[in-house]
Amino acid sequence: MKNPSDSRRQFLGVTAGASALAALGVGKSYAQTEPPGTISAEMVKQDKAKVMQWHSERPLTGSVPAHEHDFDVTPSDRMFVRNNLLTPVIDINEHKLTIKGLVDKELSFSVFDLAKNFRTVTMQGMLECAGSGRSAYKPNASGTPWLETGGMGCPTWGGVRLSELLKAAGVKPGAVHVAGQGGDPGMVPTAAPVIRSIPMKKAMDDSTLVAWAMNGQPLPWVHGYPLRLVVPGWVGSASTKWLHTLTVLDAPFKGTYMDSSYRVPPRPIEPGTKMPPDAVSAEAWPIKSIITSPAPNAHVKGPVTVRGRAWVGEGSVERVEISSDEGKTWQRAQLSPAQSLHPLAWRTFTYEHKPQNPGYVTFLARAWDSAGNAQPAVPAWNPLGYFWNGWHRVGVLVEA
Amino acid sequence: MLRRELGLLLLALAFPVCGQDKLISGPGSTLTETKCKICHELQHIRRTPLSRGEWADNLKNMKERGTPMTDAEQAAILEYLSVYYNRDKPAPAPSADTLATASDDPIEKLLGANGCTACHALDKKVVGPAFREVAAKYAGDAGAGLRLAAKIKAGGQGNWGNVPMPPNPALSEKDLQALAGWVLQQK
Repeated sequence: MKNPSDSRRQFLGVTAGASALAALGVGKSYAQTEPPGTISAEMVKQDKAKVMQWHSERPLTGSVPAHEHDFDVTPSDRMFVRNNLLTPVIDINEHKLTIKGLVDKELSFSVFDLAKNFRTVTMQGMLECAGSGRSAYKPNASGTPWLETGGMGCPTWGGVRLSELLKAAGVKPGAVHVAGQGGDPGMVPTAAPVIRSIPMKKAMDDSTLVAWAMNGQPLPWVHGYPLRLVVPGWVGSASTKWLHTLTVLDAPFKGTYMDSSYRVPPRPIEPGTKMPPDAVSAEAWPIKSIITSPAPNAHVKGPVTVRGRAWVGEGSVERVEISSDEGKTWQRAQLSPAQSLHPLAWRTFTYEHKPQNPGYVTFLARAWDSAGNAQPAVPAWNPLGYFWNGWHRVGVLVEA
Repeated sequence: MLRRELGLLLLALAFPVCGQDKLISGPGSTLTETKCKICHELQHIRRTPLSRGEWADNLKNMKERGTPMTDAEQAAILEYLSVYYNRDKPAPAPSADTLATASDDPIEKLLGANGCTACHALDKKVVGPAFREVAAKYAGDAGAGLRLAAKIKAGGQGNWGNVPMPPNPALSEKDLQALAGWVLQQK
């Protein structure tokens, strides 16, 4: 595992913080509208691929469309961007992670302490914003207008298992949830801190990490530098960025990011109506797949390889099927083998389509999970537009 | 001369959101714009008309997240959004924002139209300092009027904490001086 002391730290050491960043002229047009000690939207964009599509400037959100996701491991410059608040400038040398609450002893670690004292892990894992796909819901649901296929990615993560940190601190009986708190500041001093909690079972899962690296490099600023939670397969907001405090609790954390956001009705409701009082917390993503090649409306000749990625937040992907006749018949796609060390990574599927005649053909992808759930054609509407996992459709023109 | 104009143009380009990000004009539209724009663009409102119940949930959520707004302001915003951005019925024709222009006082109009009151109140700190605190700071300073006018135009941060005030490049010199003069009288 690469040591986290790297160019980002040296850069910070040389420039000594945000005023120097502003002096570089980076993101100058935003320097006056975003508080000091934060990374401007312009600066975040400079580190990202040209094919990123920006869905809102404040807060900054961006993603690539499905056909730009045709990678087994998502490159860092194509990882989606979504903050609740602003991107902080944090000095890794000053940064501490504190573990407190229902523990035998409160612990505090620097990033270097974590790397030195615990087994480091490199794991590929899926992160996806709860609202990924939101713009596909009709009627429109409130929130960031993610593309039907946007707001997800599957890079590798480097760090330590959260379970080992919790064991080191000694979890007391009665512990039910672990809350992660990040250091992202808001535009106003009254902004509520971003705190989310996850059940102890998920916290103790081998795939839940406290990570300092993404794709073998220190986390980019906007992805949580220097430290974040990675709770793969679950809604992205569970993976607290700029993580500085873990609190072991006897109940789910009570706060706006638990009680008013990231909630879904426990059963289908009438579209366009408000959240029922018995809504539940949004946790694991349901089974989902996207076609990553060919691109929509591509012109192709001869056999067409339909390739894509499939994932699920709990259990495993069981199979992926492709239809080229609007769902009348489905053919099984080849699915890359499950990787036991990367249980919550997306998997690649391929399907060879041999066109009978030239013309326009539309492919549909439908994945099934190990619990027998299939992707629905259109998922049940919910007020906050979470968990879109409808069939992805891509049409191409087969030329003679 | 040309240089100065170029500078102003660049400033205007740097803050396109301030001038163009608008909601349908109606009672409460100015208040809604100024409060919501503190943290996010108004496209989030325009693209997604909601039912009144959903708006009520949404505003409760935003208040919890830290939007500085009183219960009365929250109620006015809910009323505005439920009428002008309602998923179940078309928006009425734009009309005057009678809440913003209820007063004939030119200063109050300036304060409302330029978003000053989103962050400042007369006698208590909201996001920025109270107008009275600003007046007290400049008390006895003969050049205060001009300097405060320049400050309102340029925005910035540091004197009252780390939250920056956006610049107001579109304000005329006359309006800037009227605002500065009014603020300095608040004792």
